[in-house]
Amino acid sequence: MPATDYQGSFLGRISIRRNQVMSMEGNHEQEIEDLEMFQKHVADRFADLLSPQPSEEAPAQTLCSISWIRKLLDVFLCCDAEFKAILIMGRDPSQIIKPPLDRLIPELLDRAVKALDICNAITNGIEAVKHYQKLAEIAVTALEQRPFGDGQVKRAKKALNSLIAAMSCEDKDGNNYTRTWSFGRRGAAATSTKCTGQLRSLSWSVGRNWSATKQIHAMSANLVAPRGAESSGLALQVYIMSTILVSVMWAMVATIPCQERTGLATHFPVPKQLSWAHSMIALHEKIGEEWKKKEKKGSAGLLEEMQKLEKLGQSLIEFTDNFQFPAEDERAEEVTAQVAEMAETCRRMEEGLVPLQMQIREVFHRIVRSRAEFLDALDSTGKVSATAI
Amino acid sequence: MIWDAGPREVSDYLGAVDEVQTLIESLGSLSMSENGEQKELLYQVDNLLQVAMSRLEEELIHILVQHKQYFEPEYVSFHSCQEDVVYDESMVSLEDESVEEASRRVSSGSVSGENIIDLIDPRVIPDLKAIANAMFASNYDPEFCEAFICARKDALNEYFILLGLDIFSIEDVLRMKWSTLSSEIKKWNWAMKIIIRVYLASEKQLCNKILGGFGTVSSFCFVEIARASLLCLLNFGEAIAMGSIQPEKLFRLLDMYEVLDDLLIDIDCLLFEEAGSYIRIEFHELLRKLGHSARQTFLKLQNAIVSDTSMKPLPHGGIHPLTRYVMNYIKTLTIYDDTLNLLLEHQNMEYTNSVVESEIEQELSSITFCPLACHLCSITSALECNLVKRSRLYKEDSLQHIFLMNNIHYMVQKIKNSDLSLFFGDEWIRKHNGKFQQHETAYQRATWCSVLSFLRDDGLVSNSVFKVTCKERCRDFTAAFEEVYKIQTQWSIPDSQLKEDVLISTSLKVIHAYRSFIGRHHISDKHIKYTADDLEKLLLDLFEGSRRSLRNSQRR
Repeated sequence: MPATDYQGSFLGRISIRRNQVMSMEGNHEQEIEDLEMFQKHVADRFADLLSPQPSEEAPAQTLCSISWIRKLLDVFLCCDAEFKAILIMGRDPSQIIKPPLDRLIPELLDRAVKALDICNAITNGIEAVKHYQKLAEIAVTALEQRPFGDGQVKRAKKALNSLIAAMSCEDKDGNNYTRTWSFGRRGAAATSTKCTGQLRSLSWSVGRNWSATKQIHAMSANLVAPRGAESSGLALQVYIMSTILVSVMWAMVATIPCQERTGLATHFPVPKQLSWAHSMIALHEKIGEEWKKKEKKGSAGLLEEMQKLEKLGQSLIEFTDNFQFPAEDERAEEVTAQVAEMAETCRRMEEGLVPLQMQIREVFHRIVRSRAEFLDALDSTGKVSATAI
Repeated sequence: MIWDAGPREVSDYLGAVDEVQTLIESLGSLSMSENGEQKELLYQVDNLLQVAMSRLEEELIHILVQHKQYFEPEYVSFHSCQEDVVYDESMVSLEDESVEEASRRVSSGSVSGENIIDLIDPRVIPDLKAIANAMFASNYDPEFCEAFICARKDALNEYFILLGLDIFSIEDVLRMKWSTLSSEIKKWNWAMKIIIRVYLASEKQLCNKILGGFGTVSSFCFVEIARASLLCLLNFGEAIAMGSIQPEKLFRLLDMYEVLDDLLIDIDCLLFEEAGSYIRIEFHELLRKLGHSARQTFLKLQNAIVSDTSMKPLPHGGIHPLTRYVMNYIKTLTIYDDTLNLLLEHQNMEYTNSVVESEIEQELSSITFCPLACHLCSITSALECNLVKRSRLYKEDSLQHIFLMNNIHYMVQKIKNSDLSLFFGDEWIRKHNGKFQQHETAYQRATWCSVLSFLRDDGLVSNSVFKVTCKERCRDFTAAFEEVYKIQTQWSIPDSQLKEDVLISTSLKVIHAYRSFIGRHHISDKHIKYTADDLEKLLLDLFEGSRRSLRNSQRR
């Protein structure tokens, strides 16, 4: 992946130069150069996400597919590494407690904590996606059976109905998060309720009243582009990194089932004239539009694989509803193609979801570590601890 | 429900399912000639099978829900009166008793050893197995697993509620006020033991009982059931490990460390298969983080002591809250000595790489040379330095000495009368006994030398003025004594034994000098305000911590 390539060389270059220890007034030219490089890399990486160029290793990923999200997270990890290299590595920590950084860094760290909760909520959301995958797999197994009979069609229908119900009740304000608790008390009668037939087990992982939308709003509330003298230099870098953090988290929330997402599609508060942000804004608009469309219908998220399951699922349900033995050949062919597509989607999910979950955990740990590094740097400037005795 | 109707119905039903399966097999094995009738029959049987499987799935869910059982642990209150060792800036002295209370560790509760319980009524296990066998035989295993996983996951979620476990976001935890956080940590420690050692161990066994015959299915299902809940427990730990470093957190951090350290072997057992390995690794990683956090907190204590300064002297020269805090704190630490030594040794390995040092360490393997002992010594040294600085805030030399005497004496007592003595050793105690005694002597000199100088004979030469001078001197002495009385009755020596010692040696010196002065110069009672006995009684009022005056008060 190209992102990792230039990350390596960039970090190398920075660390060599940093070793020469920058003086307090800072090597200003170098700093400007760093900043320009950082902006360029950010712009390039997001441009690549917006319109992925197929390469030899990876065919072009569709927007919002599992592999695309994994690439998005790669971009985040690269940007974070570069950001830290510029801001912390070899720098006199006293520089990061000067205004306006004394305000901006704590704000960034606050966003980081919120991002951690989003990561956890998303990890939990992937559990739901795995559940959809299992249901789809049952349908695939049934419909792949030959000869093709009433029994298997019924089996597929049951699984598909559960799938569609699970995916659509997912989004009714995330209410299923609390509903599952009452399942036991209602006993097996639960099979007749809204979520038709399937036991739904998706607990909240980040607290009862937690809301992804609120979290995203809180992260972007005080996100203001630096102006005047601040609009270059370290303040801008903190701003860029914050923007990346918010937009990556936002994209994940929009694609993967997540607790409480009403009103998620909102204005992305980044000034359009900033060149590094062009692709990011375009990406946001593109996903935002999709979200608005889907939000009305109510869907579990924009994840490409999920949308595919939904579309194929509905079509196959229609088929099973009208199925009469024996199947007409023409229709059967069409169904075979759809089943194959569904099987292929399931395969991609099987391959991608666990690594995605791991990668989210990696992002989680990275954010924790970056936060700790900043806190250490801040701490070392605070009280220069009098070494006693 | 069939399974509610009785064993006969059940066996009839299962028998019928079996027949259907056999029929499908035999029909399938017949090569599919274009025999329309045969084909027709197969479709019908297939349809029948679907109906049966669907029914079995419902029965399965019904049984899982109706026959689930919970292990209800003894109720434990985490909001008890136990207080943590907290340094109260408002100088409200910390009652030693409450600290002793606080040092009680989270009770290990009733959870120990192998605690497998029945999460499902054992009488229905054969039924569940029968359903599993029937569904797996007809390739309906995905349906079985999904239903089973969902039902058991729900049961586990409900168990969290039953245990009163709230799930917090990391943001919540980081913002929590300490008292709440402390009780949540205690709850976590308690819940971890129950959930890992009892509940999940039993869950794993349940999976094995029902699905043991189907290869890796059993462990796959177990991990699916447990993962989300384990991640919740894990994330609470992560939040604690990334929280700010505050001295009062140390004991809770050490509690968590010890609990997790103890449970890791169980976690490894539960998740040794591939499916759960990533969570297993996360828990190992969490242990490392908690250890790091605990170590940092401990190492910060010394800095906290050094930087704890004040511009105002402690009134009355008694025992400073910082002294109480630090001593009670390190006294509590001794119950964590093994863990702390481990963590500190680990730190030494991280930061020093000399082989020689470790050899020396081995030779001096006595407890007084363990890493914890070294750190404790430097903590008390830091405290001493801090106290010396604080003593300089007093204007009177005498009070400086009283303050230092009081505080060092307190330190010595705390160490002598607890396990701390093992870490500090006799040599330390001897040295510090000497120290506070020196301050006592210095006090005697600073206060009483000048007062007693009035009673000395040198300079009294001429016989004619002699009588007058003696009376004057006596008066001056009385005035000086009253002044001391007025001031030093406010001062305080909280330890009664120590006070008695100070008063006895004062009394010996003062009364002796006074009595012999009066006797030597034959001063009549008319000219003296206080008899020697009066003085002796008055001396007993010193160091009571409440101001008294002799001039205006009515005597006798």
